[in-house]
Amino acid sequence: MGPGFQKSGLPIANQIRRLRFEHGEMTQSELAQAIGMTRQTIAAIEAGKYSPSLEAAFRIARVFGVGVEAVFQWRNTLP
Amino acid sequence: MSFREKSAWITLISVLLCFGAYFGAIVTGHITGRGLSSMLLLVVCGVALVVLQAALHILAAITSPADARAPRDERELLIQGRAHSLGYYVLTGLVLSLFIPVHLGHSAIDIANFALLSLVLTTLAVAGAQIVMFRRGV
Repeated sequence: MGPGFQKSGLPIANQIRRLRFEHGEMTQSELAQAIGMTRQTIAAIEAGKYSPSLEAAFRIARVFGVGVEAVFQWRNTLP
Repeated sequence: MSFREKSAWITLISVLLCFGAYFGAIVTGHITGRGLSSMLLLVVCGVALVVLQAALHILAAITSPADARAPRDERELLIQGRAHSLGYYVLTGLVLSLFIPVHLGHSAIDIANFALLSLVLTTLAVAGAQIVMFRRGV
């Protein structure tokens, strides 16, 4: 399990927290506003409590200017 | 806390307060034999519920206006859908259980109160499920 991976029951990990930090310490509210979601949903995604839809995943990746695989990863420890 | 979660809390608390008072009065009336009329109680508690819900929702909207104006996002829609799906099963079970008081020969007003209780319990189950999913994740 690499850096940035959260402990959760969901099979998808994410790097949103690190990417926000690297993009001028973008707040959860700013990211939420950029993709049309609530701040609480961004917080839930970051905490590994909610897996976003494919469309939302692409929208998040576009905000950071990276591919979706740079933001979300399948956990190798799970089948 | 998001506006939708606040809304679920408002529903849970206001329904508990208003219909807790209603059914408390109904049960007390049955025990003592000197209760107010069910219709009068229902009107009073119904109006109190509407006023309380409206006031608390306005207060919640004032404290987070942008959140209140924004449409539900995909997570909120998922939570709403799952909670209402659960509510459907709760309501189905409770409505089917209405045959029990009918079979036991309860009065029409008692049956109406059991039906109202079914709606109240379903509303509480939906609001409670929403709160749990907002807190624990979906």
